[in-house]
Amino acid sequence: MSNIGQDAGHGKIRAQIHNNRVVFPVLSYTYPLKLLSPRMQQEGVAVVYMMTYGGGLVGGDSIFISIEIEQDARLVLLSQGSTKVFKARPGGRAAVRAAPSSPNSPNVTTTTTTTTTQRLDVSIATGGALFMLPDPVTCFRDAAYRQVQTFRLARGASAVLLDWYTSGRRARGEEWAFTKYYSSNEVFVDGVRTARDVVLLDGGSAARGQLLPRRALADRMGPYACYATVLLYGPVVQGLVRELEEEMWRISVFQLREPLDLLWSLSGVHGEPDGRVVRVAGKETEAVKTWLAHALRGIVDVIGEEVYSKAFV
Amino acid sequence: MQPEAFPGNRDIYLLLVLSDANLPTGSFVASAGLESTAAHSLHHGPAGTPGSDIIDFLHNSVDTYARSALPFARDAQRISAAYASKEIVDLDVALAALAHLDALYDACTLNHVARRASCAQGTALLTLYTRGFTCSPLLMSWPGTTPDIGLPDERDSRAGALVAALKLRVRRGESKALGHLPVCWGVLAGALGLTVDRGTHLHLFLHARGVLSAAVRMNILGPYAAQQLLLYAVQPMLSDTLSSTAHLVSGALQNGVSWENADEQFPATTWPLGEILSARHDLLHSRIFNS
Repeated sequence: MSNIGQDAGHGKIRAQIHNNRVVFPVLSYTYPLKLLSPRMQQEGVAVVYMMTYGGGLVGGDSIFISIEIEQDARLVLLSQGSTKVFKARPGGRAAVRAAPSSPNSPNVTTTTTTTTTQRLDVSIATGGALFMLPDPVTCFRDAAYRQVQTFRLARGASAVLLDWYTSGRRARGEEWAFTKYYSSNEVFVDGVRTARDVVLLDGGSAARGQLLPRRALADRMGPYACYATVLLYGPVVQGLVRELEEEMWRISVFQLREPLDLLWSLSGVHGEPDGRVVRVAGKETEAVKTWLAHALRGIVDVIGEEVYSKAFV
Repeated sequence: MQPEAFPGNRDIYLLLVLSDANLPTGSFVASAGLESTAAHSLHHGPAGTPGSDIIDFLHNSVDTYARSALPFARDAQRISAAYASKEIVDLDVALAALAHLDALYDACTLNHVARRASCAQGTALLTLYTRGFTCSPLLMSWPGTTPDIGLPDERDSRAGALVAALKLRVRRGESKALGHLPVCWGVLAGALGLTVDRGTHLHLFLHARGVLSAAVRMNILGPYAAQQLLLYAVQPMLSDTLSSTAHLVSGALQNGVSWENADEQFPATTWPLGEILSARHDLLHSRIFNS
């Protein structure tokens, strides 16, 4: 249900268990954000799609979603296609409000880059779980994007938090051609900060090069075109964490002649024995997706085949 | 009037001592991810440019370290100096602030190999200070001990007390006192009374030099070439990076952290590939470094 009159781009979700089904006492959103929850068969699990009008975000767009997951409720957050971040909306914002058109139209005239921001605040009660499995963020040429995501878990809550991004529209020859990508993911368990993962890719850092020639972002990111980070917490992920750990220890790196097509790592977090961070880099987004779908497959036991099949499509 | 060897005598002499390659800080077992990067065949720069392999790595490594770790070193140095000069009166207040920094740095360092190396080197710095930078009673009684570096005064004894207390907490394994390298460096630099700019500059210089000496040991680079890079390539790299990151703060001590311009204020990783490579260090079939 869209609540006209609220701030633009705001979304609110409250999920709770009622007779073994997840219900939403609150599910609201305002333009340009859309939150849709399709009916699923799996008991105790609900799915919400986070979407934007026109399938993308533009400079100046600001999204703020707050989510409250109550005891034992399980929520899967998905997107429909990658989050495309454009430098600017053709014709300016007001015109688009009146007549939404494809942001792909060729006459992009705006020259200034305003940062697109996305903020997410989540709290998860004991026994609750969040499975955040969106498609990757793709920043187009000259786009500037900032997302700040905060997750507050009660003890005994679980979370699978996927955050990933690609190098851009490669079909158009864009490789790490955006101006800025900033992503901050912070996880608190029982009020204690256990992880703050912050990435800053500053393609416009030419300003800092007073003495040395400017270095392209591609030099630092290549040969990989897709990077993913998954934060894993709580009882429901322990099985897949053990499997990943076993798989990791089977790796033995001899001196390589060529870079691998995909590489990944697994580490613990601060002061939380059950928490893990998984990182993946791949030359192809598809390969990273396939790897993730395989690595996280253990959550099928919790969310069911039907729901899992909606992620990583 | 006694002639001064060069202006700012004391600071410069301290910098000479601190930049001594023989300083027992355990940095010789760390490659800051270079060994893993080379094993994964990802240290190659543009083909055909001599030295470009390691220059690229240095750039990425120096940049991400300056962005992610130096804010912690700066904040720690301010606390340490403030305690030594009695601006912070209470020892527990200073220790609590340092513990905040340590815990936040640990939460930001989501890579077990880097975390391990950081704690080992940080703890070594605390030992270095208590054993190598405090004046012994025997030395104090020696008539030749010059007042150039200065005989221990109240400032020194407060600084010494802070370092000793921090070292004890780290050794006891208290959960919030982890002894991370940037935090301990800041404490050391503050205890010695260096300016924040000199402290961070030297810290980043030592980081870059550590990478270069690892490269020499790995045979990526000859010793003369390493020296050349240190003189001509690293110097502008450090200046650029330091000037573009000087305004950053750790966020551990600042109230009301606002997310709106978080990207312009707080620490961040700028080289995600380096994180993965560093974390894969323990998977190398053979290795000479610990990180």
